[in-house]
Amino acid sequence: MKVLLVCSGGMSSAIVVKAVQAEAVKKNVPITIKSIGAGELAEELGNGWDTVLVAPQVRHRLDAFRAEAAGYDIPVEVIPPQGYSPLGGSIVLTLLQELGK
Amino acid sequence: MDKIFRLLDKYLIPTMTKLSEQRHLQAIRDGIISTIPLIIVGSFFLIIAFPPVPALALAVKPYAAKVLLPFRLTMGLMALYACHSIGYYLARSYKLDGIAGGILALVAFLLTTVPLTVAGQGLVLSMENLGGGGMFVAIIMAIFAVEVLRFAKEHRLIIKLPEGVPDSVARSFEALIPAAIVIPTVWAVRDLLGFDIQHFVTELFQPLVLAGNSLGGILVPIVIITLLWGTGIHGDSVVGTVARPIWLVLLNQNIAAAAAGQPIPNIAPEPFFQWFVWIGGSGATIGLVLLMLISRSAYLRSVGRVTLLPGICNINEPVIFGAPVMLNPLLVIPFVLGPVTCGIVTFLAMSWGWVTKPFILVPWTLPAPIGAYLATGGDWRAIVLVFFNIAVVTLLYYPFFRAYERKLLREEAGQQIQEEVK
Repeated sequence: MKVLLVCSGGMSSAIVVKAVQAEAVKKNVPITIKSIGAGELAEELGNGWDTVLVAPQVRHRLDAFRAEAAGYDIPVEVIPPQGYSPLGGSIVLTLLQELGK
Repeated sequence: MDKIFRLLDKYLIPTMTKLSEQRHLQAIRDGIISTIPLIIVGSFFLIIAFPPVPALALAVKPYAAKVLLPFRLTMGLMALYACHSIGYYLARSYKLDGIAGGILALVAFLLTTVPLTVAGQGLVLSMENLGGGGMFVAIIMAIFAVEVLRFAKEHRLIIKLPEGVPDSVARSFEALIPAAIVIPTVWAVRDLLGFDIQHFVTELFQPLVLAGNSLGGILVPIVIITLLWGTGIHGDSVVGTVARPIWLVLLNQNIAAAAAGQPIPNIAPEPFFQWFVWIGGSGATIGLVLLMLISRSAYLRSVGRVTLLPGICNINEPVIFGAPVMLNPLLVIPFVLGPVTCGIVTFLAMSWGWVTKPFILVPWTLPAPIGAYLATGGDWRAIVLVFFNIAVVTLLYYPFFRAYERKLLREEAGQQIQEEVK
């Protein structure tokens, strides 16, 4: 599963990436996850990602992100606020598994 | 409180979102942000040229002019760099060639200045208006140039090259007619009609810059940013879109005064907010994190532990979404009032001359006391002020934190009983 995580500058999402990776190792789920800033989304979309997750603090730009991803057939979803913390790894992983189905 | 959140959701967020999504403002933001590495590295040469230790300063003095050169050619030409990037991003947003947009923006901007003939030096371009002071001119000329480019493209005012010409060559010709419109237009206005665009625009934006430096001018962004974060929206990036050009002009005036050895004029460039208000991140959440570390609630304690390190580096999404502060009527109150208080305290301390006004841009992930020390050119009183502000926000968070903790403790006790029953 290849997941792209979009936040404002790519700083805070690095923390969430770590939490999700730790949870994935625990549950034995193979996952590649990368955090980027909002401006980089357009360039990254063509690189074979399965899912795009959007940090809650940039959810007001969801429509713009979805428009950018429109041609790629990739789901773009907002992470629930409770998932966006170092303790939220399991929430995000569950969301990913549901989206992957 | 719920009603307030609903009102914010209905009015503040859509308005601010629209503003931050606005194409030109977005290009301005991205363009200016792309110059920040130059500003940060360039400013370091200013610290080296004027080190905070007197003995060191004396030793460096003979070389100061030389050490300042990288600073002068980065910070001193900031509008030039920003102009090109703004033109680039705006063109890209229209799906036009970015480089063409950047180059047209540059030429439009440079044409607003008039080179002087200096004996023995040939033609000399004054750097006076190419630094932060020329920022608004750079922005307006970049927008003008790219809009001409777009107009030409939409009305098919392009020179068609025969099939088989490489794409890159063909693209570079697309800017030919726009350039033939932009260059004579600016030249005619500036040189034939003798209309000083630089002077006019600078005067036009002067009230905005003055307002940005007043007490009201610091409280408005603080309140809007914290209210947006209170609903879980990235307030800084939204408000920064509008405010950053003003903050940069203020910063540039400060840094120019510092380099000239004059007293620093402005209180409120961005480092003011970064180091003295957003301690631990927006909302000055470091106070909340410290309280959570010693909380009786197991949940808050664990949030406190994992958010301490990011918090010291001013990253606080984990606190905002983890505690959570977002949509939490108890914690949002000090989340707004804490930074407001810090802003007022710092504003007063600086206007009374107790603490040096900030004039250096340092990376925002440094711990606040270090960042404040560097941003003020090495004023130890800045460190004292940061710790004072931390104490103030911790006290402000305390009663609300206790109330929230009691609520969680009741819930945690309830869970335990349930588990025991099982």
